[in-house]
Amino acid sequence: MATAGNKNINAKLVLLGDVGAGKSSLVLRFVKDQFVEFQESTIGAAFFSQTLAVNDATVKFEIWDTAGQERYHSLAPMYYRGAAAAVVVFDVTNQASFERAVKWVQELQAQGNANMVVALAGNKSDLLEARKVTAEEAQTYAQENGLFFMETSAKTAANVKEIFYEIARRLPRVQPTENPTGMVLPDRAMDRTVSSSCCA
Amino acid sequence: MKTASATVAAASKPLNPLVAFEHKRDAYGFPVRPQHVQRYREYADIYKEEEEERSDRWSSFLQGHHADSSTDEPSAKESSGNSDALFDESGKGKEDEKLGSDVATGDANEAEEEGFTDAEKSVHRVQLWTEVRPSLRSIEELMSIRVKKKVDLSKGEKEDEKVKSSPGFDDAKSSKGASENDSEDEFYDVERSDSQDGLSSDGTSVSGIPVAGDATSFSESTCPWKEELEVLIRGGVPMALRGELWQAFVGVKKRRSKDYYQNLLAEDSSASSIDQEDTQHGDEKGSNTESLAVVEKWKGQIEKDLPRTFPGHPALDDDGRNALRRLLTAYARHNPSVGYCQAMNFFAALLLLLMPEENAFWALTGIIDEYFNGYYSEDMIESQVDQLVLEELVRERFPKLVHHLDYLGVQVAWVTGPWFLSIFMNMLPWESVLRVWDVLLFEGNRVMLFRTALALMELYGPALVTTKDAGDAVTLLQSLTGSTFDSSQLVLTACMGYQNVHEIRLQELRTKHRPAVIAALEERSRGLQAFRDSKGIASKLYSFKQDPKSVLVDSSKVSLTNGSLSRSESGSSNADEVLVSLTGDGEVDPVQDLQAQVLWLKAEVCKLLEEKRSALLRAEELEIALMEIVKQDNRRQLSAKVEELEQELAEVQRHLSDKQEQEGAMLQVLMRVEQEQKVTEDARRFAEQDAEAQRYAAQVLQEKYEEAVAALAEMEKRAVMAESMLEATLQYQSGQLKAQPSPRSGNQSPSTKNINDQLPEPPQSRISLLARPFGLGWRDKNKNTTPEKPVEHVNEEKPKAEGKETNSEPKDVKLQDAS
Repeated sequence: MATAGNKNINAKLVLLGDVGAGKSSLVLRFVKDQFVEFQESTIGAAFFSQTLAVNDATVKFEIWDTAGQERYHSLAPMYYRGAAAAVVVFDVTNQASFERAVKWVQELQAQGNANMVVALAGNKSDLLEARKVTAEEAQTYAQENGLFFMETSAKTAANVKEIFYEIARRLPRVQPTENPTGMVLPDRAMDRTVSSSCCA
Repeated sequence: MKTASATVAAASKPLNPLVAFEHKRDAYGFPVRPQHVQRYREYADIYKEEEEERSDRWSSFLQGHHADSSTDEPSAKESSGNSDALFDESGKGKEDEKLGSDVATGDANEAEEEGFTDAEKSVHRVQLWTEVRPSLRSIEELMSIRVKKKVDLSKGEKEDEKVKSSPGFDDAKSSKGASENDSEDEFYDVERSDSQDGLSSDGTSVSGIPVAGDATSFSESTCPWKEELEVLIRGGVPMALRGELWQAFVGVKKRRSKDYYQNLLAEDSSASSIDQEDTQHGDEKGSNTESLAVVEKWKGQIEKDLPRTFPGHPALDDDGRNALRRLLTAYARHNPSVGYCQAMNFFAALLLLLMPEENAFWALTGIIDEYFNGYYSEDMIESQVDQLVLEELVRERFPKLVHHLDYLGVQVAWVTGPWFLSIFMNMLPWESVLRVWDVLLFEGNRVMLFRTALALMELYGPALVTTKDAGDAVTLLQSLTGSTFDSSQLVLTACMGYQNVHEIRLQELRTKHRPAVIAALEERSRGLQAFRDSKGIASKLYSFKQDPKSVLVDSSKVSLTNGSLSRSESGSSNADEVLVSLTGDGEVDPVQDLQAQVLWLKAEVCKLLEEKRSALLRAEELEIALMEIVKQDNRRQLSAKVEELEQELAEVQRHLSDKQEQEGAMLQVLMRVEQEQKVTEDARRFAEQDAEAQRYAAQVLQEKYEEAVAALAEMEKRAVMAESMLEATLQYQSGQLKAQPSPRSGNQSPSTKNINDQLPEPPQSRISLLARPFGLGWRDKNKNTTPEKPVEHVNEEKPKAEGKETNSEPKDVKLQDAS
């Protein structure tokens, strides 16, 4: 939950994505501006925090970098519950990691906070030759699902700060529309009546 | 320290490890974080001392017991229980002797060292399996009792001996609470693994037949030196013995079945040719084509994690990583229900650093299959259950801390979850990790995880309470935990302070919390699937209408929904009419239709439930948001008030400083006035003194004057008398000498002078006569000038007066000075 007080925003942010997509590397680049070729596998989750100044507000990110392996999935809700933002990371050289990212987005939309700012990060953009997922494909998916997409590289630091800045910029905008849930609920009710009538 | 280096880098010469390794790595070859280097250096010496101390203690302990077992072995196995006790006493005697003679222990140490290096050499050579050194056999035997062997070779006799030994020793030992606890723990352990064997559809082949759990547990408590051993282990295991002792604790020897590891690895070569698969390993392993396919899926993950396991560790060169790969692959094949889980790569690597490959495999098997049964499986249920249990314990123990964390919105499990899953690896400094592992492997359950976590909360809770937001709290806890270099303090706090946290209690709590976890898991997967259903159809329809360009994404989605969900068939069959061409299978018969409708309705119900749940969630969220807003509001008001007060304070302070300035000025003025006053006072005093002196002088003069006047008066009287006498004499003379004319008619004094001149006799009267006219004449003169009268008065008085005046003058000076 992002909390805005005197233009200081504390925002819980969670990183999700497949094994080896580069979640930890992305955070390490963002928080410490470091990069190591072989980042130790994350067990459970790791925590970082970083503060950004955006426009007139200061955003303090509380970043939970989760483990990528499928089975750690069951622990993920603990970390994305109540998060104000999520970065779903995939590896542009790995089609399977993109599919996994799609799954994550679906789960966030189903379970997460409705106002969550969700970013889709196509990491390892420096590996041009090994690319398997095109930027267009990811961009289309992002647009259809109301996310924003960026290609990043933790290795070269390309777009790493930018993606977090973009999240930070989007955060305050979400703030005033704190309860569009009132709108969504009747929508769903509509859906229900339609589908039940169709069934009967 | 020598031992540590030897373990880590067997290839490197036995140099001083502190020199041999770059200083960013610790004695075990693991990197030390830059912010901790300083503290690590501080503790390196302490570790060294501790290590020396404990290797002494251990060697003397083992000497004693080695003697026992060596004499024990030849004797009949049936009586081993009794003889153990006997020898234990003798062993203790020996120990005492050894403590007395340093030479003996020194020798023993060297002997250990030699044995160690021998064993060590084998680690990185072809030999994949070694036995524990003879001196540790007794411990191995003791610990391996709890391993439930599937091979029934010696079971019969063992049971006999247990039955025989238990009654006698139970009495002897029943007074000791700790060992009793242990035995009960064991009992529970067995029960638990029983039930879970039933649950998990038997992928584990080692924890096969739970045999005579009660008997084994009792026999364990009969061991008389177990407590001594426990104390030693809490104090830490010497690096030289660690690998072997861990094997002994886990019961590697007993778990091992020959060629099993090699057979698991042999599948590797056969995997390429699909036909040979079944023939190669049809028999007792129970693995089939299916599991093999799964293994191959894990292969990618293992491969990915190999370089990400302790990157840069000196011992993990190409050979080391190959061994790690083999080990993890073998385990995945051995237990397909767990397969490969991240974290195992770290465990396996650590074990490989301490022991030969096959030993490491069996140790890993013991740890994952038994100690952490259900922890690293696909759904990780036990891990989540443990977190709930821990949370309850933390809540009970540290209400203040939990209250604060609740306020900040921090969940304990966020941080402790990773602790448990990694068994503190990369969370604590390495020395502490190994110390925790020592106890954990010895105890053979997860109690130590809880105790350590609670000890950390105890150590760092007070600091956490001071944090102001969630981020700070988690950061602080992480960094404090990462710098827990005092491993002895940690282990002792954990073991001593939380004795009431034991396996029985944990089991109770686990059974209490497990249903919630399972329910949440089911609900989540159901909700997710329902969501995916609708989402899948919607997006399919959408993209179908749009254009066939995004088919690539679409088809993957379709395969997703179809592949993963059996329930989603309802959805897709409903949409089948529209999407026959897309999904491909378009057979629709009436029976299926009914079934489909039922399924659809089910899905509908699920959806409704899901909606209800999400509505509840929303409500919750809204509530939280509201509370936050209120909090914010309060905070804003408070901050405004604070600002106001601060302003007021500043103003008051300004006033105060003004006043102070004024006061200062006033004080200065006052001081000046005072000074002036003092000066004038002084002046006044001087003047007074002057006046006094003058007055005094005047008085004195007055007195003198009066004296003089009195003297004069007398003189006058005398003069008058003398005159009258003179007259009388003159009259007498004139009476006698009538011839002579009277001088009295003319000038008196010349006549007297003349008389005096003329008449030398009587001389006395003549003098007085002379004196009188002189005095009179002076007197007449003085009547006009009185002030000078004393000065020229009488000759004898003048010096006196002058002396007085000179005396009084210095006195005045003195007074002036004094003032």
